[in-house]
Amino acid sequence: MNIGIHLPILAIAVPLLGAFALPIFAKVHKRLRDMWAAAVGAFTCAMVIALAIQVLSTGVVVYTLGAASPTQAVTQGGFPIRIVLTVDGMSAFMGLISALVGLASLIYAFQFLKEDQGKTLAMTLFFLLWAGMLGMEYTGDMFNFFVFLEVTSIAACALIGYRTWESRPAEAAFKTMALYTLGGLLVLLAVAILYGQYGALNIAYLSSRIRGSQLDKIALGLLLGGLLMKAGAVPAHMWAPDAYGEAPAQAAMVLVANTQASLYGLWRVLFTLFGGALAAPAVGWLVVSLGTLTLLVAVLMAILQRDLGRLIAYGAVSQIGYMLLGVGVGLVALASRPDFGLVAMQGGIFHMLNDAATVGLLMLAAGVVRRATGTKDLTALGGLGHDLKWTGGFFFLGALALAGVPPFNGFASKLLIYESSFRLSPLLTAIGVLGSILLLAVFARAFQGVFLGPRLRAAQSPPVGMLVAMGLLAAVILAMGLAPGFFVEHLVTPAARALWEGRDLYLAAVLGG
Amino acid sequence: MRLVTGQGYWSPLVWLALAAGVAFFGWLFWRLGRRTYKAGTDQDAPFLSGEAAPERAHVGGQHLYWGFLQGLRPTLEALRVFHSGFLGDYVTWTVVVVAVALLVVMLT
Amino acid sequence: MIGNLPFVVCMILIGLGLWTLLSRRNLIKLAIGITLIECGVNLFLVTLGYVERGVAPIYTYTQPGVTMVLPTPQALTLTSIVIGMATTALMLAFAVVIYRHRGTLDARKIRELKG
Repeated sequence: MNIGIHLPILAIAVPLLGAFALPIFAKVHKRLRDMWAAAVGAFTCAMVIALAIQVLSTGVVVYTLGAASPTQAVTQGGFPIRIVLTVDGMSAFMGLISALVGLASLIYAFQFLKEDQGKTLAMTLFFLLWAGMLGMEYTGDMFNFFVFLEVTSIAACALIGYRTWESRPAEAAFKTMALYTLGGLLVLLAVAILYGQYGALNIAYLSSRIRGSQLDKIALGLLLGGLLMKAGAVPAHMWAPDAYGEAPAQAAMVLVANTQASLYGLWRVLFTLFGGALAAPAVGWLVVSLGTLTLLVAVLMAILQRDLGRLIAYGAVSQIGYMLLGVGVGLVALASRPDFGLVAMQGGIFHMLNDAATVGLLMLAAGVVRRATGTKDLTALGGLGHDLKWTGGFFFLGALALAGVPPFNGFASKLLIYESSFRLSPLLTAIGVLGSILLLAVFARAFQGVFLGPRLRAAQSPPVGMLVAMGLLAAVILAMGLAPGFFVEHLVTPAARALWEGRDLYLAAVLGG
Repeated sequence: MRLVTGQGYWSPLVWLALAAGVAFFGWLFWRLGRRTYKAGTDQDAPFLSGEAAPERAHVGGQHLYWGFLQGLRPTLEALRVFHSGFLGDYVTWTVVVVAVALLVVMLT
Repeated sequence: MIGNLPFVVCMILIGLGLWTLLSRRNLIKLAIGITLIECGVNLFLVTLGYVERGVAPIYTYTQPGVTMVLPTPQALTLTSIVIGMATTALMLAFAVVIYRHRGTLDARKIRELKG
């Protein structure tokens, strides 16, 4: 069997199988479970990376489930009836983000989670969430997208609320679950409307048929609403700080990657599914204005927070605003295709990778603080830098990178967003810079409050495994900061081009000709 | 390693070289200063309006930017009320986002 | 006209569900509201697959010349029902946990996480 052809489905199936087999191995022995989890994690990452290399070197990869030959997406009569996985530059890029975040989360989880506090359960749910995210990113079928969206919703909410011995996680989980389900149903309604019109669910086939009828527009509106909510755009973001703040650290960073998978779904819908029928820039302006609103409101709320988890959560929400701003500028410019449109898209998409790494690092550091002191209250913390030197250093690095201080990676992506949004309207750039300055203030406050000052209490330094996970993310951040040109040229530009001008290639790869 | 941004470029290595140069000159200026600091004396104690500083004084995280927050108080209070924590509000705002998206899409 | 009735019923169900979500405060009722929306969407999917005088697509038993129904919408609805059951079960489980800790199911009193 040639494994290279089957990479897209294996990257989804292996963590899915790994998730359901994990509790069985845990019954046998805990060490066996850990070895199984490590093997599944390593194998999944290897396949995602191999698939990304394949996509970046040969172009769009199409995998048809249940066909005699996996590349044969269209049945006789030119109609794609089977479920098709379609991996282009953007999907491969998102897969790499998920793999990075998942790997760091898994390494961290081994020593962070306690056996008597549902370690097996949390790891099982993590693999389910991972499989769902990869599925959302690799699928080429609208209904399949909805199914994976719901898989991530269920796994994510269970991860938020599985600690039933505390009252706050359950509250956060219920709120998040209600909104996730509502958003998922909006997406399903839109998929049903599209199916009713065209009798197909394949993204490429639908895209070649959509002409912009009234029903198409209703479907687009519903998809926009549902996915914007799941991505956490203001004012439908209120579940996000609850969820990120209450989830355990290793889960919270995967939740952030999950919102980015929803953002990916939004880009896929806007650029590929509706690319041809979307001549009007009004939707782009909607995305841009929601983006600026998101980054301002979230960062102002972050200043007010007293809980370290919620503070970082609001910081993470504000970063969603930059992505919406960058790609929204690209969407506004899509009709006339000026140069700055592609630069804006590069910035927005590069920022997704930066955000996943930096917010993940901050959340893992907050998890160490919580583990060492038993609290995340900023009024009670202080002076932890004496004992948690490495953690403090990682938090400092993450804070600088997130706030966009040169020479770190956040600056590189924000520079791309600023320079291109300036061409559209200088006001957007001004708001973006203001948001960044406020964000730096927020994280200066958090760092000062938690790590500086006299030693208020003794704290136990974290085990090596947790430091390794944070070190992995820190190394990625430093590499992206010192060599942004390399990452943008080889990873981000193919992803941005796949959305910006790759629609015809995407359609041709699935439908042929 | 250069990142072309459309109107110019960004190179972290050049920036680091410049930063190292600035730091070097800063260090030179610092060396020109007086050397009266002695560790372990009263000079180490924090200055608190001339009063004796309490043991283990720490400005907690929530006290930083007190004046800034005071100036923005009305806006921030409105924002805090906006995030009410009531699930009905969450759903309402989600429905508003969906409605706005539908309106924008339908009217164009 | 009568053929459009199921679509009208779907929209009424979805509207009722949304109204429940917006106006009720009991967590169980909120879960019911979400289930109502789900029922509306599922009904919509099934209705889309209806073909007048269509038969089940089993080649062995059909006479030539009759219209066969594409089974995709039914499969979608089945999947959606299963997903809906999982989400409802999870939500009710969280409602139980919340009730154990707080002794109330009133969403306006369950706002420890705010601001």
